Amino acid sequence: MWRLGLVSCLVTVAAFGSAADARCQIRAPGSGMRLPIEPVAEMRIARLEHWLGSVDSHNPGYEDRALLDVAEWTADDLRSLWIDVDVLAQLMRKPKSGAASVRPEGQRLSSTVNYSSEQRKRLVLLACAAAGILDTDVQCYGATRNGGIDEPLSRLAAHAASARRSGERHYVLRRGALLHTDLAILDRDVVATPSTPTVLRSIAPQAFTMDVSDGRQVDFRQSGVHWEIARMLLDNVAPREEQKPEPGLDPMVRDWYRATAAWMQLRGSHDTHHLDHARELLRNDPDILFLSGTQHETLADATIQAAMRSAVVPNGVSFNMGSERDELRQADGFFKRALEIKPDAVETRLRQGRVQGELGRHAEAASSLEQATHAATSSPMAYYADLFLGAEREALGRFDLARTSYESAAALYPRAQSPLIALSQLARRTGDRAGALRSMEQLFALPRVRDEHDDPWWMYYLYQARGADALIDAVRKPFLLKEAQ
Amino acid sequence: MTRRAVVPLTLLLLLLPTAGRSQNPAAPSRPAPDPAAQSAIFSSKVEAVRVDVLVTDNNQTVRGLGPADFDILDNGVPQQVDLVSFDEIPLNVILALDMSDSVAGDRLNQLRTAGGAILGALHKSDQAALVTFSEVVRREAPLSTNVESVRAALNQVDASGATALVDGTFAGIMVGESDAGRALLIVFSDGVDTSSWLNGDTVLDAAKRSDVVAYAVAVKSALKPEFLRDLTSFTAGRLFEVDKTANLAAIFLGVLDEFRQRYLVSYTPRGVARDGWHRLEVRVKNRRAAVKARPGYLAGS
Repeated sequence: MWRLGLVSCLVTVAAFGSAADARCQIRAPGSGMRLPIEPVAEMRIARLEHWLGSVDSHNPGYEDRALLDVAEWTADDLRSLWIDVDVLAQLMRKPKSGAASVRPEGQRLSSTVNYSSEQRKRLVLLACAAAGILDTDVQCYGATRNGGIDEPLSRLAAHAASARRSGERHYVLRRGALLHTDLAILDRDVVATPSTPTVLRSIAPQAFTMDVSDGRQVDFRQSGVHWEIARMLLDNVAPREEQKPEPGLDPMVRDWYRATAAWMQLRGSHDTHHLDHARELLRNDPDILFLSGTQHETLADATIQAAMRSAVVPNGVSFNMGSERDELRQADGFFKRALEIKPDAVETRLRQGRVQGELGRHAEAASSLEQATHAATSSPMAYYADLFLGAEREALGRFDLARTSYESAAALYPRAQSPLIALSQLARRTGDRAGALRSMEQLFALPRVRDEHDDPWWMYYLYQARGADALIDAVRKPFLLKEAQ
Repeated sequence: MTRRAVVPLTLLLLLLPTAGRSQNPAAPSRPAPDPAAQSAIFSSKVEAVRVDVLVTDNNQTVRGLGPADFDILDNGVPQQVDLVSFDEIPLNVILALDMSDSVAGDRLNQLRTAGGAILGALHKSDQAALVTFSEVVRREAPLSTNVESVRAALNQVDASGATALVDGTFAGIMVGESDAGRALLIVFSDGVDTSSWLNGDTVLDAAKRSDVVAYAVAVKSALKPEFLRDLTSFTAGRLFEVDKTANLAAIFLGVLDEFRQRYLVSYTPRGVARDGWHRLEVRVKNRRAAVKARPGYLAGS
């Protein structure tokens, strides 16, 4: 029996023209206990070598042979790869350390992996090649005595060594993370293995995905642990030679978390563990705090809450997600922290105002949204600020001001439905039935065919991630193979 | 069912079966209500309250009751019943139908059949309208005695997108209020709200201020249709939770039949505060009968 520690819910709430979709990934971390004696299959070391070749030859952002090869691997192949790559990454720093233990994310205890003596020697050889130190580091001298290296591996060793000479010591870690980022983005179904070896059940992470459409679960499936492998690889990034890994100090790691977290939200995939881990590494990064806030704000939305309440999942599975109110409180906390670091962040102020309102703190909300209204320059942001401020003023009984705010929103987006229905409801509430009917007639007169640009409210839960694709491209760019640059 | 701020003159017109209404089903619908004209009516200080009442005895509708047969308590204060009407007033039937992704396919065909059935059962003087909602709320056909235009609109709708159930319901209420007739709103949804701007409480508040009687059909799921349950409760309608939608037409026709069996009772409130929530109790004197009426109405802002 395992207990699940993470849900990610992918929401394209109110995505125009298609169902509101959500994908919830549930991760089952290992128990962190000592492993039972179980030999490591030879196949795993061969797979690790194959993986290194794919890391070296994959062109980030491209659906090439290297990517598609790894995409064919089963869920358990990927789980065992997670273990072996973790050991490999440790050996890349200290080949002679004899490291053969792994510690799953979120666990305090390490677990020893029972490689045979021959397997350990081969792992050291692979680590030396991957680190680009096969011919230069004293710890790697003689490593080739334990078996030769074939063409893909020697090419990798040459590329890693060349990168090292030009100052890049984490060639495989970074390229490996990008390979698995692309695999996660590709989102191919993985083949579930009927009988999982004990070693994997004990320590390897496990990922599930729940697909949600229009507030309802439509699928529940096992998925590949690509984000887990990518995170683990980057966890081994150290600022200087011989130093303990500190990925939070690395600009590429920071950019990768910002880009991937935004990308997940743009695609409606909310892996809460991803941002939890990002915050461990980048405690005071305002962008990560902002995205953490928007993620929890999204998890409070009716689409996700409804899907979670009605989800049918296997025994032992639980969602790492709170009630609407709990999620809103968490969002509020993250927005508050982000604003302490970056007080002039208009979008954060806007989101904080909305969440405060949803929590019933209408006076605070109105104050935040008034600030956002004055500072918002782009059309969607100004629209959101007006629309939300209207709702807060209405809640405070300031009906004339509320009407003004809704009218401002309607003026910004004349084809938007939400301000018109808000105006109609406000008029109805204040006894102005003629005004209510007039606004409703305006709504009914809108063009029959409308798209997501007509009413930004429909895209609210995606808007924060609008630059995600460009961010991902920017992270990939330095690692593109020459022919693609 | 209640209405506030309706002048007696308007009410009298309502109680006449054909007053102001074309008898020709092929005739174009009445012009869209002029908001200014509506304003003139509703700005009156004189208030009358209408209550739709279903009276049954052993599940059989009790007919032939008059004003003297009803006791109405408004916030516990006995009221003088002015008028009672039964089976005389033309209906405004508003269909508010979920057109989100989940409705596509067989369910959409079943909805068309059910909608067609209810349109076919309307009297010549009745009006119908069609509102649909995905994330987009549309009035596919305005209130009209020309039911063929509503049927044509129903046959052209497509299902895709998210579910703005709350917004769509509000639009349905407003279509009901756009005409002084007796309004029956039938809401169908097979899911939960995922994209409305308005929140459920706001629209329930609007329903409490409205004369519209709302019936709803929800497809059963693990989630309780709380919004529709409250909506139908506050408006004295009824919620049907169904496993399948194959038999929707029978449900729609049953709703229409039940609605036609209702009395429309009106009174002018006396001895009660004007604003706020008014708790209503409706009883039939001197006989054992089951009475179904809205639990109250909301007046003032």
